[in-house]
Amino acid sequence: MNVLGIIGTEKGAFLIRSDESRQAWTIDGPVLKGWKVTAAARDDEGTFFLGTASQIYGATIQTSKDLTEWTQVECGPAYPEEADRKLKQIWKILPGNNTYWAGVDDAGLFRSDDKGAHWAPVTGLNDHATRASWFPGAGGLCAHSILIDPTNPNRMWCGISAVGVFRSEDGGSTWTPKNEGVPVIIEDKEHKDIGRCVHTIVLDPTDPNTVYRQDHLGMFVSTDAGDSWKRTENGLPKRAFGFPLVIDPETKALFAFPLEADEFRLPVEGKFTVYRSRTGGDSWEPLTKGLPQENAYMGVLRTAMAVDTLSPCGVYVGSTSGTVHVSSNLGDSWQTLDCVLPRILTFETFLED
Amino acid sequence: MAAVTIQLPSLLDPIVHGERRIRVEATTIRQALDALFQSHPQLKVHLFDESGSFRQHVLCFYNETNTRWLESLDDPVKDGDTLTILQAVSGG
Repeated sequence: MNVLGIIGTEKGAFLIRSDESRQAWTIDGPVLKGWKVTAAARDDEGTFFLGTASQIYGATIQTSKDLTEWTQVECGPAYPEEADRKLKQIWKILPGNNTYWAGVDDAGLFRSDDKGAHWAPVTGLNDHATRASWFPGAGGLCAHSILIDPTNPNRMWCGISAVGVFRSEDGGSTWTPKNEGVPVIIEDKEHKDIGRCVHTIVLDPTDPNTVYRQDHLGMFVSTDAGDSWKRTENGLPKRAFGFPLVIDPETKALFAFPLEADEFRLPVEGKFTVYRSRTGGDSWEPLTKGLPQENAYMGVLRTAMAVDTLSPCGVYVGSTSGTVHVSSNLGDSWQTLDCVLPRILTFETFLED
Repeated sequence: MAAVTIQLPSLLDPIVHGERRIRVEATTIRQALDALFQSHPQLKVHLFDESGSFRQHVLCFYNETNTRWLESLDDPVKDGDTLTILQAVSGG
């Protein structure tokens, strides 16, 4: 069994591989050289999906069985011609059991019911009653997070930056904002239930009523599937501002990368520190062993942190300066790989036979 | 019908699997582009945006002439003509 990491950067994807010890890594790439790689996924049939984008040539989904030969999805996510919305980036690709989902900028969801060959807009969200009041944050107007309740596939969540979290109870047909308890960041005159700036959401692997939320205005948890949220920031730096959030599927340990306030967006005091909670967010501890702790001012984007499914859990962090940091022991210690890649946009891991 | 060569930039290599000089038969510039999209439908999303026009930073030259300065893409083409796709971002 090998671990494969797909690291999406501003200039292509890089592939890292190791055996289960996760001590010695090979680095290959770039794949799709020159293209921004903004999302990565693999379905149950072993097909890989990459979201690619270019400032010049637009955004598409590319697929491959072998990570070498790539084929563009011809009927990928697209807004209609003459629409006032533009497809700028694929933020998330989530192959579900029967339906595959994609979250994009300009914010919206698309779905495919034929394993990613043809994609259609999810109009219940894309044309939501609040849509006219959606405004982009610094990272764009992006639908970046998609969660599906493993016990009830009709229940889903979607996180949209500077708008908030929406939940569906009917497999994506209709959506309701779920942001009670999270402070407003951009108040709308009419729609008081949006205007929240969610950065990432993750689902408890065994309790689908528990959802964690790294928000622009702090770290939150909901124990009622998003109906209400409360702060869960003990031990995090002041304001608990950050972007990525991941969870170990086995121990439920949470990992975050807090930054010093939204006006700076830098690691606190130049210490590149991952924070971990082994208590469901009730308390957080800094993880520093093997991470740069002097003059380290790179950030970590919202999808540039990952875990694997081995035991103990591996944790993976790609920085905006292109450095790659790997832990094979739940974050207790880290190694920095011998590479400096382009700005890292996304990081996903997979097990290989 | 005239034989027209369409040249594509290297960043689009993965999209056309290295085939960056594509010959089409057409009587106008627009027909040449339509023929390109017919044979390589995956290219259209990269060259045109949701408005149905060239993306903001995509340039198309008909021989030495930027097609943006033409009144329309319905100008006739002749054997041996070239359409060159370039990206309109330089320096930085």
